Amino acid sequence: MKNMSFSRKSLGIPYLLFLSLFVVAPLLVLFYYGFTNGSGRFTFENLTDFFTNPNTLGTLCYSLALALVTTLVCLLLAYPTAYILATSKLKRRSVVIMLFVMPMWINFSLRITALKEVLTWIEGNLAYYPFLNSVIGMTYDFLPFMILPIFNTITRLDPALLEAARDLGADEKEAFLKVTLPLSMPGVISGVSMVFLPAMTNYVVLDMLYNSTYIMGSLIGSYFSAYNWHGGSMISLILLVMICLFTLFTKTEEENPRGGALL
Amino acid sequence: MRIKSCLLKIGPLWLGLFLGIALPVLPAKAGQDEIVLRVCNWEEYIDLGDWDEEETIDLDSGDILGENSMIEDFEVWYEETYGREVRVEYSTFGTNEDLYNMLTLGDVYDIVCPSEYMIMKLMAEQELVPLSEEFYDTDIEENYYSRGLSPYIREIFERSKIQGESWSKYMAGYMWGLTGIVYNPELVSKEDAATWKILNNPAYYRQVTLKDNVRDSYFAAVGALKSKLLTSSAFLNDPEYEKHLEEEMNDTSPETIAAVQEYLQQVKDNAYSFETDSGKADMITGKVLANYQWSGDACYTLDQAEEDGVELCFAIPEEATNIYFDGWVMLKRGIGEDAGKKHAAEAFINFLSRPDNAVRNMYYIGYTSVISGGEDSRIFEYVDWNYGAEEDEEDVSEYDLSYFFGEGEDAVLTVPTEQLNRQLLCQYPSDEVIARSSIMIYFDEEQTEAINKMWIGVRCFNLKKVPVWVWGMMVVLLAAVAAVSIRRRCNK
Repeated sequence: MKNMSFSRKSLGIPYLLFLSLFVVAPLLVLFYYGFTNGSGRFTFENLTDFFTNPNTLGTLCYSLALALVTTLVCLLLAYPTAYILATSKLKRRSVVIMLFVMPMWINFSLRITALKEVLTWIEGNLAYYPFLNSVIGMTYDFLPFMILPIFNTITRLDPALLEAARDLGADEKEAFLKVTLPLSMPGVISGVSMVFLPAMTNYVVLDMLYNSTYIMGSLIGSYFSAYNWHGGSMISLILLVMICLFTLFTKTEEENPRGGALL
Repeated sequence: MRIKSCLLKIGPLWLGLFLGIALPVLPAKAGQDEIVLRVCNWEEYIDLGDWDEEETIDLDSGDILGENSMIEDFEVWYEETYGREVRVEYSTFGTNEDLYNMLTLGDVYDIVCPSEYMIMKLMAEQELVPLSEEFYDTDIEENYYSRGLSPYIREIFERSKIQGESWSKYMAGYMWGLTGIVYNPELVSKEDAATWKILNNPAYYRQVTLKDNVRDSYFAAVGALKSKLLTSSAFLNDPEYEKHLEEEMNDTSPETIAAVQEYLQQVKDNAYSFETDSGKADMITGKVLANYQWSGDACYTLDQAEEDGVELCFAIPEEATNIYFDGWVMLKRGIGEDAGKKHAAEAFINFLSRPDNAVRNMYYIGYTSVISGGEDSRIFEYVDWNYGAEEDEEDVSEYDLSYFFGEGEDAVLTVPTEQLNRQLLCQYPSDEVIARSSIMIYFDEEQTEAINKMWIGVRCFNLKKVPVWVWGMMVVLLAAVAAVSIRRRCNK
């Protein structure tokens, strides 16, 4: 031990270990199972199975629909809220923001249990509206993830840009549509990706709110409890590919925001 | 054999991946004389002790009170009786499938407590160590299991076979029960509740729950579909009724599976939900009126509801009921050739089967032990202590449990009549109900796959249910989005 001091690189070792053990290794296992069959032979069968089976396709469509509606509802609720908060001259703005974030400090299943009681009280019987309940549950769960990034981008907007727009004759509405909205798109996109993807797989919400229809997460679980590791792994891989495509798409959007021409 | 080749295949992979994680948690090397027994049981399925003084069960033959946990008591008892130290490493599992997956992924246990169908699967895959002959020797005082096992259960374990071997060769029973319907007698009639058809009865639209579990749902669906046949007098008076009932309830022909799928799809649209654990609470809070339940959990539900001032009842469907068992089996990969371990494992079963311990477990978890006590009367006294009518009670009935406790004058209880639909029925069903019980066998790989496929089909969203106009709207929407984005690109 000549040199006791750490180089900066060695500080990364714990994370590297963590990454390889808990992220890369399980992924490799996933690939192994996804592309093999029961007797360990290489096969594409699991992949073709997924796209020819009406059950898995139905689940995919249902999850997509659920995630889409949840994201839209979140966006419609979050954008005005974030905008009002960010542009208001409230002195204790951070306190208000705190109010929105606070639910996240409470255990998630506890919150959904409470929601269950409220919904039962409103609807009379939860089981009448399974899809609606799932949307409400997911929105309740994911709304802060949509508000925060939008709020952040809007607060960081340069006020000089808005002033310039007004100087050049834009009224309030035009200034919002042509300056604030395009420039806040990165926040919207990161909010959407934080809501849309988990909403496709977070089946605990559905379970707790008694929606008996499978979404992607529960479908994977059902394959595993039927000892079908291969089919389940393939579904996970397909989800992974979808996430990758989605991130890739949003990344190019973020790097090249449509408002760029304005600057 | 199959399981072995499978393990060989994934063995190195898992070994490489998990050795690093698993090594630190492997037990520290035990002292020379100490036996380490790795037990894996259902969650909340054993007495953990710490009872209040008031909870003392004061039977004629003496008081029973759980001071320490059953595990600690076993460790002390084993050392006192056999002069060797034993240390129990106790872990739990949530479902049979979880346990099976834990075992295939390399967790090692010496003795586990799955349900009978999982035991059959493990037996068929030759993963189990047979119980020793000595274990069944009723002359040995400490053999509480074989001395106390109910004759009724013993007969089933000896009669039921898989691959030519009877269950009793490998499996020592722990708890047993039936499946049935917990219902709210104020809003549901007994006639409606006592049939599997309640699950898709439109009168209880969105007010009945069933189990989120393919085997239980399958059994119920078969019962409902074959209701007419199963309740016909010709079928009931068939001299080989028992055998035919078992065949009908375990029917996995493609036509039956297809019919079950269709039926369960209707159920999904009519029932409140498929639940894993919330059914008990939802019954008590009144969210649902009826709940498909295992008798042990039903007993618990009824007790809890009573504390909240709600009276619930239990009904066994008229078509058939599934009799289930949870039992202890020893695993080859844990016990191996280790005679000391095997001895401790069998002693563990015996200790749990000692009548006072069986009572403690029953009291604590609400399920019913397979032990009837043999010459020891404490189990029967406990049933009487629990359910026997007070002397001044007026509406009483005679309740014959000789099928369970063995023929004898002692096996008839005098109980309040209302108990015939309540906890007593859950915990010690009458012989009339028992007559229509059927075990659900372990389906082979092919059948299991077909049934699992059916189940996933039931639970997945059916694309055919989407009306044409929705598809049309989606096409229009997509076209609009595409048109807008193309115009944008062109403008740039």
